[in-house]
Amino acid sequence: MSRSRALQYYIVARLLLAPLMLWTITTVVFLLLRATPGDPADAILGGRAPESAKEALRQQLGLNLPLWQQYLNYMGDLLRFDLGTSLTSRGQNVWEVIWQYFPATVELAVCSMTVAVIVGIGVGTLAASRPGTFLDVGGRLFGIITYSLPLFWVGMVLQLIFSVQLGWFPLGTRFPTTTTPPQGFTGLYTLDSILTGDLSKFFTALYYLALPSITLGVLLSGIFERIVRVNLKQTLRADYVEAARARGISEGKILVNHALKNALIPVITVLGLTFASLLGGAVLTEVTFSWPGLANRLYEAISLRDYPTVQGILVFFAAIVVVASILIDIINAYVDPRIRY
Amino acid sequence: MNWFQLSAKKWRSLIQFVCLFCVCLFLVVSCSNRPQTNAPAVNVPAGDARITIGTTNKPRTLDPADAYELAALGLVYNMSDRLYTYEPGSTEIKPQLATALPKVSEEGLTYTIPLRQGVVFHDGTPFNAEAMAFSIRRFIQNGGKPSFLLADSVQSVTAKSEYELTIKLKKPFAAFPSLLAFSGVCPVSPKAYELGAGKFKPNIFVGTGPYKLAEYGTDSLRLDVFDKYWGEKPANKGINVQILSNAANLFNSFRTKAIDVAYLSLQPDQIRSLEEGAKKGEWQAVSADGSVVTYIVLNMNQAPLDKPEVRQAIAFMVDRPLLSQRVLYGQAELLYSLVPKNFAVYKPVFQDKYGDAKVDQAKQLLTKAGFSKENPAKIAIWYPSNSPIRALIAQTLKALAEKTMDGILQFEVNTVDSATFFKEIPNGIYPALALDWYPDFLDPDNYIQPFLGCNKWSAVKGCEDGGSRSQGSFYYSDRMNELISQQRREQNPEKRQEIFAQIQDLLAADVPYVPLWQKKEFVFVHNGVKDVKIDPTQNLVYRTINK
Repeated sequence: MSRSRALQYYIVARLLLAPLMLWTITTVVFLLLRATPGDPADAILGGRAPESAKEALRQQLGLNLPLWQQYLNYMGDLLRFDLGTSLTSRGQNVWEVIWQYFPATVELAVCSMTVAVIVGIGVGTLAASRPGTFLDVGGRLFGIITYSLPLFWVGMVLQLIFSVQLGWFPLGTRFPTTTTPPQGFTGLYTLDSILTGDLSKFFTALYYLALPSITLGVLLSGIFERIVRVNLKQTLRADYVEAARARGISEGKILVNHALKNALIPVITVLGLTFASLLGGAVLTEVTFSWPGLANRLYEAISLRDYPTVQGILVFFAAIVVVASILIDIINAYVDPRIRY
Repeated sequence: MNWFQLSAKKWRSLIQFVCLFCVCLFLVVSCSNRPQTNAPAVNVPAGDARITIGTTNKPRTLDPADAYELAALGLVYNMSDRLYTYEPGSTEIKPQLATALPKVSEEGLTYTIPLRQGVVFHDGTPFNAEAMAFSIRRFIQNGGKPSFLLADSVQSVTAKSEYELTIKLKKPFAAFPSLLAFSGVCPVSPKAYELGAGKFKPNIFVGTGPYKLAEYGTDSLRLDVFDKYWGEKPANKGINVQILSNAANLFNSFRTKAIDVAYLSLQPDQIRSLEEGAKKGEWQAVSADGSVVTYIVLNMNQAPLDKPEVRQAIAFMVDRPLLSQRVLYGQAELLYSLVPKNFAVYKPVFQDKYGDAKVDQAKQLLTKAGFSKENPAKIAIWYPSNSPIRALIAQTLKALAEKTMDGILQFEVNTVDSATFFKEIPNGIYPALALDWYPDFLDPDNYIQPFLGCNKWSAVKGCEDGGSRSQGSFYYSDRMNELISQQRREQNPEKRQEIFAQIQDLLAADVPYVPLWQKKEFVFVHNGVKDVKIDPTQNLVYRTINK
């Protein structure tokens, strides 16, 4: 079988597996939420409401039905892409909630990943190119420290230093309340401000993004730094690199043109999965920085026992991770001919 | 294009382009004016006489028929008018959209309310008795979280004429006008809202108040002054509400002047720190007695709390000043009745009868009841795991008993997740528990009937249906039920006050609860911002704030 035909089969197989993965995840989410303590009727009507009102609501929401019947209803709704309405913000569709909060999460994820990739690959390359030197040891330390530091703690400390003490960065929001945010269809303030040609709002949006995304990005960069450093070191010892050296090519060119390209292949997998997990909600970052993203909203929904919203957001996150993992597999298969499928 | 097959030259130009872009971006950012933001570096929260208020309380909904928490009710309060309202610092109601206090029929069942003319909704619809009747019916029939407040007592609502409303009650209820001052019982535009179970509009608000909703974002709200408001115009140009996810961000946002006003919810240690700053003149602190009451519930169905001597011994042993200091750094008003001090009917019955830290009397009572060091009275006290304050109350009580009671009285501290905790209270599994009460409306009745009222009782199970079961004390007394009914029927304030005095005496004798304190509410305000007030229902009054 030719490589392109094999690749097509592989892609089809991965796509066919996606619904199975989604079904497994949605079923687990459904069962876990039913296993948690607390009655949604209490959450909606409050503890002081009469029992008759709570019972009527349970009937209205189908909460008094057997579990299997609730499950079938839930799956039926999902197949129709109906995520239901929020129990706490009654009258609001869960899709509305997602589209309202998701752009903030996307914006933070993209900026953080940009920081993480630039810092991680930069430090990793530097460390690998000078083995056994101070730079190598520094890079290793950087990787370990950033990987192991708890984000909520670093976030708090950086806010104290850069916002409270130095006053360099704003605190606790995505855009100043005194200014109307950029109006656009994407909900991404940076992009919307560019699309509307308002550079002042673009820089304001960047300014507010800076501290959360740098914090998250630097902490994530440790992962990339470690992978790049290890892979680059191995690549730099490969025969083809030795051959390049023998031909008199400079170390800089070997590093950038020959070694780094190959060393970055494993980074794609990690990058894709990290990005998917960021889109799937950097809960700690969003809560620490009061970032109004979807993960922050999920946190609120969990504390209010808003089951449809929790289910809806989790299923949405799961779909992102599934799609991202399929894309990564396909890209990997495409760029790395050594992969067998 | 395969990025990994780019030539060295292309890679170099790509890197050069990225570097050049970064340098240009850096130059533009550095040379341009810093954006006018609420950032600390700017330190001008809102230079246009708009006020920026920071809070961690995020509204769940803005629909008054479904709003039941402080966050939502506070916003609804400021964007709406009610038939009756409170003056800040007073628990006496006064007419707002009504032009006078209601005329009550002799049997106490029919309330006739004259309404103000010339009022319009934010969408331009005129306000009249039909609109008010629609709003009250909607509050009841849509089945929102607070609907039971009126559903339990209102028989019918009718517009008697264009500006006169008639409300018929199911049974006499002297505190009914206070219910009409509940933030959610406000008129909403019949054009913007629908009647029907579950038909809510969580993201809009169309009422008659001094502010209209201009923008409702994911972490902020903008309220603009309503230019057709019938009453006195607000002293500011509008309000920005900034919602923060945690108390640390609220604290830091205030310190960096990113917000003008910080209100709800700061931690006790943050309040203490900001109070110290206020004493140094760095900013201002405004405090008011809150309406939230903290108390200990004693389950009368469980041994040894079924013995009155044990309950009374706990009342003797409790040291409120110490507890308040350890738990809230003294940020509370000590309370010696379930009724808060804000009400004229307040009678400090627990102070008169038990006082604080009277351990000798406590020991005598326990010894009389047959307890000793060898046979101690052991009581398990429970609290929800998400409440550090109530955890501290329970731990401090335990330590207090260990230190002072010579082993005759012992507390065991237990915790459980909050959903299970509140669900199990009416099932009577907790011997003692620490709770807070957030009133639904400001009348002493709301601090008595939900605690001491009982509709059905048996000798084995105690209260089987009623307020005391919901609270977990299972208290039942024929005399108490009679007194509660009497005060609900009584329209004469003096006579009602006498009945409340008797109720509080009986409460102190039976001790199904031990009141601890009513919380103080704190607002922190930057210098230059003036006239910040909290109304007795804990709502921050927006319209008076100016700078």
